[in-house]
Formats: sequence, structure tokens, C-alpha cells
Amino acid sequence: MNRIWLVMILLSICFLLWSDPGSVLSEMLDASSQALSLSAQLCAVYAVWMGILELVQASGLSQKLAKILHPVIKKVFNVKDPETEALIAMNISANMLGLGNASTPLAIKAMKRMDTGSPVASPAMIMLIVINATSIQLLPTTVIGLRQAAGSTSAADIILPTLITTVCTTVLAIVLVKLCHKIFKRRQK
Amino acid sequence: MSLYILPILFLFIFVYSHFKKVNTYDTFIQGAKKSIPLVIDIFPYIAAIMIAVALLRYSGITTLLAQWTSPIFNFLGIPTELIELVLLRPFTGSGSYALLNDVLVAYGADSYISRCACVILGCSETIFYVTTIYMSQTKVKKLLYAIPVALVCSTVGSILACLLCRIM
Repeated sequence: MNRIWLVMILLSICFLLWSDPGSVLSEMLDASSQALSLSAQLCAVYAVWMGILELVQASGLSQKLAKILHPVIKKVFNVKDPETEALIAMNISANMLGLGNASTPLAIKAMKRMDTGSPVASPAMIMLIVINATSIQLLPTTVIGLRQAAGSTSAADIILPTLITTVCTTVLAIVLVKLCHKIFKRRQK
Repeated sequence: MSLYILPILFLFIFVYSHFKKVNTYDTFIQGAKKSIPLVIDIFPYIAAIMIAVALLRYSGITTLLAQWTSPIFNFLGIPTELIELVLLRPFTGSGSYALLNDVLVAYGADSYISRCACVILGCSETIFYVTTIYMSQTKVKKLLYAIPVALVCSTVGSILACLLCRIM
């Protein structure tokens, strides 16, 4: 991430030096204040979701969900801690419903629990990142909303192709992560 | 249909919690309270990535990159109009939704291009953004193969999306 960010910044500044040097700082400040207003929005959204999620955890619903998804999660993630398993189960469920904002705090909590202090990510952490990146979508709510607003006559006809695509990419993701993990292990030996 | 899912889910959670003798008000407050420190923690990560993306877009690098890479993307079945979307998607959520809206307005919501764009957005994630935020509270510095694998999967997803929209 350090390198990618540096390359993005350096390249852009070099380009702008040549085309429009006065805009560098103003663009950066603009983006930063956009980030601040996004964070304020997120804070409001997270307050609602984290309140609800606290209820889900306190009432034992999260453990129930984890129990249902236990066989899958055990196979894919191989985590021992039941609390982490419950967080992952809720994260994946929220993602399936297209609730990205609800799934983010869950993933952050799960990562925190899986953190051992080591600077190298564990296979379960990598799996969580990659599965979130491809997340199976039952209801791409935001996209359907935008499409409806743009005057589509059948805004929901993207649900099926989206579902098929995400199922395929999720399977691919799991296979690739497991494969890469094996290659890495072999290399270390 | 989808309008009812969330309200019913919320209703169920509140009623179930009440029957499990959970103090719903206190518990909700406990959870909501944690949102403020969380957002304060992740704000610098959000700002850093948004600054980089703003500079990239304003400098015109993304349009140049879209032009250069168009033969490759066209070969994979991804239309030229959607390359900028595919390239920016891993970095920015709000930016890619803005791009989707441009596409919807420019080509009409029911056109092939628009449907492709919708499916691409539905099946991909802001990989770089999400990864930095997920890892923001851990000590992990090395992600090994996580980002390459995620990028490969979402590229395959985009190709598949364009293919499926053609036949469905």
C-alpha cells in the first residue's frame, strides 16, 4: 500500500507540475474536506448499524447465524475463535444484502480480533479481504436505486447477472487464495 | 419486495432482543457510541486515498491510462466507455458511483453499456480503500498476495459481467 500510494501521488504531481501547478494544493484540500464530510456521514451511518449490531450480538442472534454458517466458514477461513467466526458470519451476510456500510465495522472488528501483532497478514485475514472484494450480492441496492433514478424501465434485471458473476468470482477467490497460500508455504520451506 | 427486507429485519431484531431480556436502549447506545472513535481512527486513511484519487483524476492520468489500455480491455470484451470505471473502481466508491451516474445519463439506463456498468459495480469492491480501512486497527504491514488476487478476481468479474449482459 505504501508503494502504490506513493506512485499515485508522485505521478499525479509530476503531471500537474507540467499542466496546472496551481491546482495541486487546492485539489488535495478539496479531497480532504470531501473525506471529512464522507467521514461525518459514515459516523452517522455506523452509529445506526453498530447500535443494531450490538443488539444482534447481545441477543445471541449473531451466534445463531455463525452456527448456521459454521461449516462454510470453518472450511474457508479456518478460524478457531467463535467470536471472530460470528463477526465474519455477520460481515458476509451484510455484504450479501448489499449493506456495505454495515459490513465495514464488522470486518474491522474481525481483523482486530485476528491480529496477533505480527506484521504479516494471516491466511484468514487475506481470505476476508478477498471475499469482501468479490462479495456475493443478492441485492445490489445502491446500483438498482441509481438505475431507477436514471429512468430505467426494468431496474432490477441486473440482479441475476450480478448474482451469477459474484458467485463465480467468489469461488475463484477462495480457490486462488488457497492456492497462493500453498505456494507461499512451499516457498518458505 | 426489497423495500420490506430491512424494516422487517430490524423489527425482528428488536423484538427478539426484547424477548431475550436485552435492554434494547442501553445496548443500542453502547454500540452507537463506538462509531465515533472508529470514524476518527479511519478518517486519515479515507483522506489519504481520496487525495491520491483526486490528484490522479485531475491530472488526467486516468483518461490517458484508459486510452493506452483500451486495446487490452476491448480484447477482453470490456467496452472503451467503461474502462475508466473499471480502473477507478478499486480506489473509490463515491467516485465510481459518480462515473456510473454519468454513464447512465449519457447512454440511457437500459442500454447495454449501462447494464454492464451496473453489473460491474455490483460485483466489484473498492479494494484499496476497503483494505486500508480493514487493516487500520491491526499491526499488519504485509498483505502478501491479498491485493493481486482481489484484483484478478474483480477483473474476471468485469469480463464476465460484460459477457453476461450480452446474452441475458
